[in-house]
Amino acid sequence: MRPSPALSLVLIILALLIAWELIKLIFNLDKRILPHLWEIAVAFSQPARRGGPPLFSVLFEAALYTLRGALLGFAIGALLGFILGTVFAHVSLLERSLVPYVIASQTVPILAIAPMVVIWLRGSWLSVPVIAAYLTFFPVTINTLRGMRSPDPRAVELMRSYAASTWQTLWKLRFPAALPAIFTAFKIAATSSVVGAIIAELPAGIQQGLGGAILNFNQYYITGPERLWAAILMAALVGILLFVAVSLVERVALRNIVRAA
Amino acid sequence: MSRTSPLERYGPPIAVFFLVIALWELLVRAFNVQQFLLPAPTVIAEAFFRTTTNIFNSAAYTIRSAVFGFGLGAGAGILVALITARWTTVREGLMPFAIALNSVPIIAFAPIMNNWFGSTNPLSKIAIVAVITFFPMMINMVRGLTLVEPAKIELMRSYATTPLQVLIKVRIPNALPYLFNALKVCSTLSLIGAIVGEYFGGPRDSLGVYILQEAQLFRFDNAWAAIIISALLGIAFYLVIIGLERIAIPWHASIDKQ
Repeated sequence: MRPSPALSLVLIILALLIAWELIKLIFNLDKRILPHLWEIAVAFSQPARRGGPPLFSVLFEAALYTLRGALLGFAIGALLGFILGTVFAHVSLLERSLVPYVIASQTVPILAIAPMVVIWLRGSWLSVPVIAAYLTFFPVTINTLRGMRSPDPRAVELMRSYAASTWQTLWKLRFPAALPAIFTAFKIAATSSVVGAIIAELPAGIQQGLGGAILNFNQYYITGPERLWAAILMAALVGILLFVAVSLVERVALRNIVRAA
Repeated sequence: MSRTSPLERYGPPIAVFFLVIALWELLVRAFNVQQFLLPAPTVIAEAFFRTTTNIFNSAAYTIRSAVFGFGLGAGAGILVALITARWTTVREGLMPFAIALNSVPIIAFAPIMNNWFGSTNPLSKIAIVAVITFFPMMINMVRGLTLVEPAKIELMRSYATTPLQVLIKVRIPNALPYLFNALKVCSTLSLIGAIVGEYFGGPRDSLGVYILQEAQLFRFDNAWAAIIISALLGIAFYLVIIGLERIAIPWHASIDKQ
């Protein structure tokens, strides 16, 4: 019998938490290597600075800040990627001359350019969504192109025999056929937009977001490692949340589409 | 798909390359663009030749972290996939979890690795690259090992083969395209992981620290030279994987499409 996914997830998380404490116990690890789970939990409720608000609300604010940049970047990148992918799917010359660069730029460590983007935008907050958009746009472009090309040639011929215009073929055939691939790209992009937003905060010197929080608590790691762990767990949570949100939208959007086996 | 001639295939991208470089140089000169915005290609090239040793030393350090981490992470991913492909219950419990973990911005753990191993210790970068590459590799490999046509497995069963033979003769060949897809993703991720790990702290002679430092000191030509080298490294790493793919699975259809 198969356990339900939710139950197995809970079991695995429990196993992981037990493993965490066991490893700490067996190897007698110092707080600086691996703090106790309850130490991290307690850290969430205590003020990060003397007299300040509790760490949880500080990190919650930071997560919202980073999420805002990631979401804006995700939206811009997804839109741009969708438009580009659609254009490439229809104009062969553009596809042949530009797609190799789209693929090549995927292999380039994009985040190496982050310091430059920050300088271009004079350290403003805009560099966060711009870098997040940059990471989002590549997978979406490629998967839109692939998805738009995926319909059965016979289906395209059928549309033609009905004298359907290019637009009609696009909306009635190619777009629905491309949706599964587009959502796969969205799921990849959900994570990378969060990564982009966090990393963009580093060279920009932005303090309000999770990247700033991680950098900040990193400096006080010796005295309070549980605070860095708390900030990182918050970042992990934001990534998972965005991924789950996209997956839920995917389930609703694709409920009428029969997946090819 | 009809085969295109080499001119048709390579002509447009090459034309775009030279067009972009020429346009870049021209625009920077014509509008007298400030260096902090974008140095001209010739200025970057000049900076590159001036600082070759610095850049190569930094690049060597970063490549080493990326390659070792890549080997460790991808190797562990393949191993875990091979083990879990055997036991359905373990796999079905583990996969949703691996997919969830794959959506975590793992790079945020880089400071922890820096604290564990010391930020100038190469192990800190190797560790973060290994963790980053592990999940995509494992997820792809499990898919490749398990998404096998049932008819093939039934045929093998009818020949009374052992599970090991099924693994070697059916599952692993089926997984090879997935393996190479994952290797391509991991090659990019490993370099990004190494460089971003260095943003959180690393030795002076590493690409991440070098780029960040030169940018902060307003030596943008040097920073750009290093950025272009890291871009070329990324492309080279990717091409190596494609080369291996062509040798290992020349029959696979996706090769022709690229």
